[in-house]
Amino acid sequence: MISRHKISRRQALRASAGLAAIAAVGAPSILHAQTRTLKITTWGGKWGDVMKATVLPAFEKEFKCTVSADQAFPFVPKLQASPRNDPIYDVLHTNSNEQWSSLVEGLVMDKITAKEVPNVADVYPYAVSDKIVGVTIFTSAIGLGFRTDKGLAKPTSWKDLADPKLAGSRGGYIIPVNSLGQAHFMMLGKVYGKGLTDLDAAYKALETLKPIKLVDFTGQMEKMLLSGEVSMGVIHDSGVYRYDGQNQPVDFAGPSEGVLALEQVLNVTPGSKVKDLAFGYINYMLRPDVQKLLAEAVWYSPASKKVKLDAKYDARLLTTPAKVATLIQPDWKWYNARKEDIDARVTKILKG
Amino acid sequence: MSTWARPSPIAWLVAPAALLFVLFFILPFGVMAAMSLFSGNPANNPNAFLTTRHYERFLFDTAGIYHDALWSTMRIGLITTIVALLIGYPLAHWMARMQSRLGHALVLMAVIAPMLTGIVVRTFAWMTILQDKGVINTLLIQWGLTDKPLPLMYNEFGTVVALVHIYVPFMVLTLTGVIGRIDERLEQAARSLGAGRLRAFVEVTLPLSLPGILAGSLLVFALSISAYVTPSLMGGTNVLTLPMLIAQQVGTSFNPNFAGALGVILLLVSLVIVVAYNRILARLSGEQGMA
Repeated sequence: MISRHKISRRQALRASAGLAAIAAVGAPSILHAQTRTLKITTWGGKWGDVMKATVLPAFEKEFKCTVSADQAFPFVPKLQASPRNDPIYDVLHTNSNEQWSSLVEGLVMDKITAKEVPNVADVYPYAVSDKIVGVTIFTSAIGLGFRTDKGLAKPTSWKDLADPKLAGSRGGYIIPVNSLGQAHFMMLGKVYGKGLTDLDAAYKALETLKPIKLVDFTGQMEKMLLSGEVSMGVIHDSGVYRYDGQNQPVDFAGPSEGVLALEQVLNVTPGSKVKDLAFGYINYMLRPDVQKLLAEAVWYSPASKKVKLDAKYDARLLTTPAKVATLIQPDWKWYNARKEDIDARVTKILKG
Repeated sequence: MSTWARPSPIAWLVAPAALLFVLFFILPFGVMAAMSLFSGNPANNPNAFLTTRHYERFLFDTAGIYHDALWSTMRIGLITTIVALLIGYPLAHWMARMQSRLGHALVLMAVIAPMLTGIVVRTFAWMTILQDKGVINTLLIQWGLTDKPLPLMYNEFGTVVALVHIYVPFMVLTLTGVIGRIDERLEQAARSLGAGRLRAFVEVTLPLSLPGILAGSLLVFALSISAYVTPSLMGGTNVLTLPMLIAQQVGTSFNPNFAGALGVILLLVSLVIVVAYNRILARLSGEQGMA
């Protein structure tokens, strides 16, 4: 026997409202369950602003995912502490030296090729050279920043930093904690000795740079140059060029012995659960439009050969094979293996 | 039939603090101490093995910087504590004996006000004052008192100045409470019996305020030896402390095991100093186990 209930209008409305409420509450969680999340590291400052305002939202829209971006240093120890099969990041963005340390720990992949990331086919050779773990998306050139209001001639050689007139007003980095300092230390071996790995020559040259003002990050060096606390210091080109148009008496010089590469490297963690998305993100970051946007925002030289920058940027950044050829890439694998000894020795040299 | 004693209400009140202490001190310290005895991270590296090499590395100090760093840490901690005590004690005494409530409130606000600003901001403020192109050196050069800037920063002097400024409020607040509870009539009685101001202070007020000196000193010492930001910014490469070395090991050498060993060593050495200090002050005050 079938009982037949008559549903009142009020009951029908209640039921509809209930279903709508369930749908409204449940839908985001269902949607969230379907939306994948890509966990990345990225820089702060102007770079971070552009990433959050433009680059990442466009990526999320195109790839129908959410991006969780960590800007809080240090990245590698956090990755080190997370489980290998469920890493805290899917994509690790660091400078080259940290990628090498991460590779030794098994935290990142060895190489990123055009097979996984098609746009790798369009990068300059330095971006995927044997000195790189992962793939370089941008580089800046480490050279000498100097004040233009102190009567100094534009430096042409790394040796100009040792000019006695600059005693106490030259700037460098706390070598154990800064990759620019480490790169400059190796360059001392090349300029004063047999090559980048000539440690004895580098130690000796470091002595001649005393007294020197040392900082632990590039932002501090920028402030020292801007305030006049330092008249000449080791810095990357974007750290000077970003003040273009602000009437600051500072300029950048690329020494004749060559400029050092400060690569922005992306890599994927082997345990990532969204590897395809991670590779997609790296491919996206190498797209000419994204490269142009970021390069012109922060004065980084794009790794992609296909990028055409506006004239102002094109004139100063490393955008041709000839300019790129002036880049010197340190062997970070070699350096990291000796880092503890070098740290101890340079600490003793620079103390006091 | 088993009977369960009901926990006292005090136990319930203490439980959150105890839980906090276990979760945020005992547990992290245990993990750090355990890590210091492994070659790698045993949680995700199956090849990690037990070793004492991190302690040997510190003990034999073939690099020649670790013992110096420990000594430098302790020296900065002790000097900061002594200077903070010398500045903080008269201020605390003045505050504790102040009759005007308004005056007391204003001085208290002045003492607490710097604590409302972050340590990084305060340290950068000291940098603008003490650097070569800073306020002091610029004025000295302008007035013709010196030809070249005085070395006020990137050394232990600058580090101690900034640390003292940051930690003096801790000393003052601790001492004010203790001195405020000392009965003023005891000092007055001493003076009525012929003691001068100085003698009454040295023989009556000072011994009675020793618990405050001990508590304030330990607080400032503990904060100073564990300081990282201020020694890093103010000391440059001329100052290397154990917290700076620990940060280097974690952040740039990616060696949490050696960092753990350095942390354990810093804690042990600090404990030895604290116990010794406690005993000396207890002996001076004629009491035992003050803290």
